[in-house]
Amino acid sequence: MNTVNIRNFSIIAHIDHGKSTLADRLLEYTGTLTAREMEDQVLDQMELERERGITIKAQSVQLNYKARDGQTYMLNLIDTPGHVDFTYEVSRSLAACEGALLVVDAAQGIEAQTMANVYLALEHDLEIIPVINKIDLPSADPERVKQEIEDVIGLDTSDAVLASAKTGIGIEEILEAIVRKIPSPKGDNDAPLRALIFDSHFDSYKGVIVYVRVVDGCIKPGMKIKMMATEKIFEVNEVGVFRPYLVGVDELGPGQVGFFAASIKNVKDSRVGDTVTDGERPVREPLPGYRKVTPMVFCGLYPVESSDYDNLRDALEKLQLNDAALIFEPETSVALGFGFRCGFLGLLHMDVIQERLEREYNLALITTAPNVIYMVYKTDGEVCRIDNPSNLPTPQEIDHIDEPYVKATVIVPNDYVGSVMELSQEKRGEFKDMKYLDTSRVMLTYHLPLSEIIYDYFDRLKSSTRGYASLDYELIGYQASNLVKLDILLNGTPVDALSVIVHSERAQYRGRLLAEKLRGIIPRQMFEIPIQAAIGNKVIARETVRAMRKDVLAKCYGGDITRKRKLLEKQKEGKKRMKQVGNVEVPQEAFMAILKMD
Amino acid sequence: MKLGVYIHIPFCRRKCLYCDFPSSAEDDPFIYESYITALCREIAGRGGILSDCTVDSVYIGGGTPTILSGEQLTTLVNCLKHYCHIERDAEFTVEANPDTVSSDKLAVLRFLGVNRLSIGVQSFDDGVLKAAGRVHSAAAAVEAVTVAKSCGFDHISIDLMYGLPMQSQDSFQADLIAAAKLSIGHISVYGLKVEAGTPFAAMLASENLVLPVEDEEDAMYQMATTFFPEQGYRRYEISNYACPGCECRHNLKYWRYQPYLGLGAAAHSFWQGERFSNTSDYREYIRLLEQRKLPVVQREVPDAMTAMAEYAFLALRTAEGLDYGAFKERFGVDFTARYGAVIAEMTAKGALATENGRIYLTATGMKYGNLVFAAFLPD
Repeated sequence: MNTVNIRNFSIIAHIDHGKSTLADRLLEYTGTLTAREMEDQVLDQMELERERGITIKAQSVQLNYKARDGQTYMLNLIDTPGHVDFTYEVSRSLAACEGALLVVDAAQGIEAQTMANVYLALEHDLEIIPVINKIDLPSADPERVKQEIEDVIGLDTSDAVLASAKTGIGIEEILEAIVRKIPSPKGDNDAPLRALIFDSHFDSYKGVIVYVRVVDGCIKPGMKIKMMATEKIFEVNEVGVFRPYLVGVDELGPGQVGFFAASIKNVKDSRVGDTVTDGERPVREPLPGYRKVTPMVFCGLYPVESSDYDNLRDALEKLQLNDAALIFEPETSVALGFGFRCGFLGLLHMDVIQERLEREYNLALITTAPNVIYMVYKTDGEVCRIDNPSNLPTPQEIDHIDEPYVKATVIVPNDYVGSVMELSQEKRGEFKDMKYLDTSRVMLTYHLPLSEIIYDYFDRLKSSTRGYASLDYELIGYQASNLVKLDILLNGTPVDALSVIVHSERAQYRGRLLAEKLRGIIPRQMFEIPIQAAIGNKVIARETVRAMRKDVLAKCYGGDITRKRKLLEKQKEGKKRMKQVGNVEVPQEAFMAILKMD
Repeated sequence: MKLGVYIHIPFCRRKCLYCDFPSSAEDDPFIYESYITALCREIAGRGGILSDCTVDSVYIGGGTPTILSGEQLTTLVNCLKHYCHIERDAEFTVEANPDTVSSDKLAVLRFLGVNRLSIGVQSFDDGVLKAAGRVHSAAAAVEAVTVAKSCGFDHISIDLMYGLPMQSQDSFQADLIAAAKLSIGHISVYGLKVEAGTPFAAMLASENLVLPVEDEEDAMYQMATTFFPEQGYRRYEISNYACPGCECRHNLKYWRYQPYLGLGAAAHSFWQGERFSNTSDYREYIRLLEQRKLPVVQREVPDAMTAMAEYAFLALRTAEGLDYGAFKERFGVDFTARYGAVIAEMTAKGALATENGRIYLTATGMKYGNLVFAAFLPD
């Protein structure tokens, strides 16, 4: 197909603003899937995505649309995640497009994350088509929302499409707008191959399935290709497109989006952001690729059964294949044994990875409380990056500690401005700006320690604004803070995996709360267990888990040993997910207790 | 080969409110006859095993075996003696409740060779007995022991319970003193456990049952474990105390992994590595034997790992514990090699101790026996 008839686009929308429904309608309208094949929200393929109603991984689909001008166009929709944690995924999707639909709820208006994604799209020079969705709602106010888009983002909304994905209003107009307004990709059919890898997954029969956007040249079965980062050469044995299931085609030409397989066994040979070129006629310069991502949230992941260590490593490697934002390296904990320190984009990312490891790889895991990276300036002049609280040098060695700060943007109805300010103040935020988006909605800007965001800022923000607030944040740098390490001792022994770094003014309070919380989580055992929270050598809180109730089968009546054994087997079953720390059995959730304290 | 024989009599005058044993209050006088007939048929059917062995312990339990008439008991014991050789100095126990022991009946038992009587006393407090649904008084219990002694029983055991409704630390202390005053050789002490399906369970669910609180129950447990050893009774098993030489040899067979044959409804057997059990429905039991069928409804040959775990958790119930040499001899496996991790963990927690080639529960270990036992089970 001629590139003139190709359009590559993505959809930018806040959670719940109707992106998935719109995507479904587009698939349906263009006949990509018959009604019988339609499942709700086809694009959210991952089980986890369905359950949470969010998009985590970028998915793609090809639509063939016969436009009013009588020509047939190939439209490639590349889905984008809507959560702040997955900004990196968004930029991957956008780099493969020439345009984007900006979907905004006609009743709710724009949200903080939508704005962030629009700015990303503008950075990539994308043509943006505003779509005001859910106009069928009684509370819809398309004119107000249009005005908001013009005021806040500065987009011309005179051509905005009014739509209702739910009822099918405006679907054709959207498709026409894509054809008319989004530029066709430019590319040279005869030039040597240049294709950008924007995703991949592992198939146990075909090896790595590489998702690419072809820029120049074409890719077809039988040809030799070269991965520019590793310089490895493979022979392509299959190419295809997403409809949305993988369907083989003869070749992928310039501007096209699709996949290829080339018996690539090692997941590391297909790097997202790398350029694929012709093995016999390689180009010299790779495509720009992606900005390197920096994980901001770190935690320890340990197998409950130490024999699962290798399985955990394999699983992490597989997940990392199409999630370059996930990083991990081996670490050892006195309490938990061998595991990995893992870095994530944010809490949701961490949650999702943990759940995928448990579900898709059937691993029982212990996750330690998440933390940020601290820069520790030692008295001897050395500076170290600390991503694990238990590695913090002793107070005597520390001159000062810097922690990461973010610029947080909160959009909220004006009734809740007071509660947001109060919360942000409590979380050590510095007020920066306040702007009215319209008569009833306000945009607040704060500088906040990232550690407060990952602690409970977002949850508290949601609950104190009855869910109306939306949040976006970006890292702005490091600032010195008065921080201390809070240690937890179980039965007199410090448990490294329970240590956290907290602001010194909060240490007393959090220590008390954490000890109390742990008392509720740690089951009673054969002996009394003191739980102490300490800063340095000073114990600031103490709780006790009483010794458990007597537990012994009194009688072996009439020699019925089998029944006794079955009772014991049941008892053993219930204990499996505990971790032995010294003499104390600690349940998995204890290591996350600090997050669930209020 | 030595063999222990257990015979179950599933009848009681009235079922106690906490009881989940296979027994029931049965009005039909003819059912006892039919049951004895069925038992005799089962004994005859087990002639093979019985004639291969010498029987060194017999235990007639229930229910309340002494609810049977002297004639019925005679028929049963004579039939057993016809099919097996009971050693001269075998231990021969019959369980009894205080309300069913007349001197006449005890004389019959003595004549039949019964030399040990296990009396269900439970408490010496009438209020506590009534609340538990026991049919006898405290005075009747003391009287039963006196009668048993006068009939020539040298080996008498009583059962006591703690954690019962209406029971206090003071009343339990009085129970302990009353028990010691009887000058008998053996005392079993059990904590009340409210089992599903019992009247107590229903009463607990409808909040009509008030039990001692955890701390009180715990104090009672501690009282028993310190009091009896002070009185010269050794705690030779988690729930059992005995003067030297008065340990129950039959029960020790269960804990020492020795063979036993169970006869009657709900009886369990362990023979040549196989565990099997009879139907617990005595009407079905009678019916099956009328049709000359074996009443066995469950059979299991534990695999090696399970057998080793069973051996461990049974042996560990006793004060002598588990002997490494005996274990190695039976299974060909080194105990410390197989269970090294469990031994280390439980020793660190203060639940197990090792001495002279044997391993045993400490006082803490006895209190939390289930946790230690469960750790030996295969994953």
